[in-house]
Amino acid sequence: MIDTRYAIQLDGVTKCFGDHAAVSELNFDVPRGAICGLIGPNGSGKTTCIRMIMGILHPDEGSVSLLGVTPDDVRRKRVGYLPEERGVYRKMTCTEFLTFLAEIRGISRTEGWRRSNDWLERLGLGAWANTRIEALSKGMQQKVQFIGTVVHEPELLILDEPFSGLDPLNQDVLEEIIKDFHSKGTTILLSTHLMDQAERLCERVCLISSARKVLDADLKELKAKERTGVVAVSFEGSDQWLQGPEIDYIRESNGELHLILKEGADHQSILKRGLEYGVKIFRFDLVEPRLHEIFVRHAGTESVGDAGLPKNATMELQ
Amino acid sequence: MPVNVWVVIRREYLQRVRSKWFVISTLGAPLLILLFVVAPAYFLVRGGQAEQKLAIVDGSNVLYERIAPYLVGEGFEVEEERWYADVVTSLRKEATEGEIWGFIVLDELTLDTGEAIVYVTTRPSPIRQLTLQSAITRAVMEYQLERQGVDAEALLSGGELSLELLSEERTSTEEPQFWVAYLGAFFLYMVILFYADSVMRATLEEKTSRIVEVIISSMEPWHLMLGKILGVGAVGLTQLLIWIVSGFLIIAGGMPLLVSQSPELMQVESVFSTLPGLGMMTLFVCLFIFGFFMYSGLHAAVGAMCNTDQEAQQVRLPMVMLLVIPIAMVSVVIVQPMTAMSTWFSLFPLFSPFLIWARVASGGIPAWQIGLSFLLMLFTVLVIAWIAGRIYKAGILMAGKRPTLPELWRWVKEA
Repeated sequence: MIDTRYAIQLDGVTKCFGDHAAVSELNFDVPRGAICGLIGPNGSGKTTCIRMIMGILHPDEGSVSLLGVTPDDVRRKRVGYLPEERGVYRKMTCTEFLTFLAEIRGISRTEGWRRSNDWLERLGLGAWANTRIEALSKGMQQKVQFIGTVVHEPELLILDEPFSGLDPLNQDVLEEIIKDFHSKGTTILLSTHLMDQAERLCERVCLISSARKVLDADLKELKAKERTGVVAVSFEGSDQWLQGPEIDYIRESNGELHLILKEGADHQSILKRGLEYGVKIFRFDLVEPRLHEIFVRHAGTESVGDAGLPKNATMELQ
Repeated sequence: MPVNVWVVIRREYLQRVRSKWFVISTLGAPLLILLFVVAPAYFLVRGGQAEQKLAIVDGSNVLYERIAPYLVGEGFEVEEERWYADVVTSLRKEATEGEIWGFIVLDELTLDTGEAIVYVTTRPSPIRQLTLQSAITRAVMEYQLERQGVDAEALLSGGELSLELLSEERTSTEEPQFWVAYLGAFFLYMVILFYADSVMRATLEEKTSRIVEVIISSMEPWHLMLGKILGVGAVGLTQLLIWIVSGFLIIAGGMPLLVSQSPELMQVESVFSTLPGLGMMTLFVCLFIFGFFMYSGLHAAVGAMCNTDQEAQQVRLPMVMLLVIPIAMVSVVIVQPMTAMSTWFSLFPLFSPFLIWARVASGGIPAWQIGLSFLLMLFTVLVIAWIAGRIYKAGILMAGKRPTLPELWRWVKEA
């Protein structure tokens, strides 16, 4: 069922390449106006999923709806898509290239020209507007690629690993622009494996692992729910009390020791053991887990290593 | 046609037409051809004069008047020298002092056997030697034939064969021209392959630079391919038209001017007067268009299924090898345009652009066969477009191993 409250809806979507399922029975919605993170280990099926949303690939089973219709009809004019592997026409000037991208999405030539120049000014590339793209630095080219994604003022942005390859300064610039679009009501779906960024930006996250959806929730709710799972501790004495069946692993985060508990484990039993061992405990605090911890817990170790596509088969671009 | 296709066409066209390469090749090619045709003729004619001042001592008293005009026509400057006792000594002196290049001594023996002695200061080229020798033997034969009351001039110029064509099946009223047929076919081969190759490279570049994913998220892959082919084709057409028009301008305007300046160029002008007319030029352009559509479709598919230039060249190789056949056939077809073999080969659509041209230019093809070949080519264009569009769509996003033939077949079926 297509619901107009959602910008993107995937319903039981499966896509296989040969014998390998890249995406399996995926249900996933992005409400209008939301900023949603699609997270997952490399090779877990994020890019395939995004390509199906864009109508570049067609699902073997299930259905995809984009802005309330099947992808072909509206995507051209209303979506800004930044693929993970992005290129430019190196011989074109910045303005020519951006105008071309605006035009194939239905913007008139003059309007496209004007908007391209506005954006180039805004991102500090005004002086390079008439320079061939091949003469720009890599960072500048990435800015041009990003402008190419938004030059037609889309109502939905789909960004596949938008931060990869950017230096920290430009990552901040991009983050600000994304927030800006969000505040103006643009729906944003971004795939990333940088948990810090996802945590700062996203309202919702959908975690895919080994072609399947593992989690799909509002980030705040998710953190509240997972709150039972992480304990921050500080203590003096032997650390033997930390070797118990409840604890999955221990992680140092900002100078604090975080105990990541196994699913359903009782933190009280750890505290009890600590007292039994006679350890001086200064702090034993249930904390909001970092997205990183949630990711590791749910993506699991088994999925990170072998989720990639078989190397000898004809592969889709990753 | 969708607006997107026009946008792609315009991009391809403007990017290419504005490139330095286009300007250089478009202007350079006619200049180069002019240089190759005119310059050698010019220097050949001009260059000979200064050095080859020739004196002729005619002991036979009948040969000078026959030899002189012929040698003048070949670029010698000739003067007659009377026979006297020390003539050889004094001419030898003149020659060594550089006043003349050399001298020929003719006598009674020359009249019987054609033998003569040529004294020269520098060794003449083999062609020059042959010219001198044939001037003398020709003069001798003329003299001997005339003595027997024969029209020596007509006989020696090779007689005349008048051709009475009994069949009505002539499509071209223009005279068959071997070189127009041959060079035209070869030229078509070059431009068609060159521009088809450009389509392949452009496709490959889009694929390897990954720009293609952004583009096809906004338009159908098939439309991108179509826009690319039409855009590159328009560039080729522009170049051809510039060449044709500038060629006509050079011949119509430039040559008479040049000839009026230096009459030696008359011979060059006569070569230009055999150039194909407007009808043939139109045929040429049409053959280019159909040939380009067939080969660029194939090349676009090759570009889409490969990942590197080397790989694409490998896949393309069988196709280029296949084209050796029509090119090898061209000379056969020109000589025997009406045989069954010439007919069948020229009607095979992938060979038609080259062989139909050769047959039309050599005057041996019924009009209905030209029509049929265009119909067959049109059909082939559509079939290739259908298959190539599917391969393009499936291949353009693929990375990794090149598809095998069964995989290709699956793409065509499933896309």
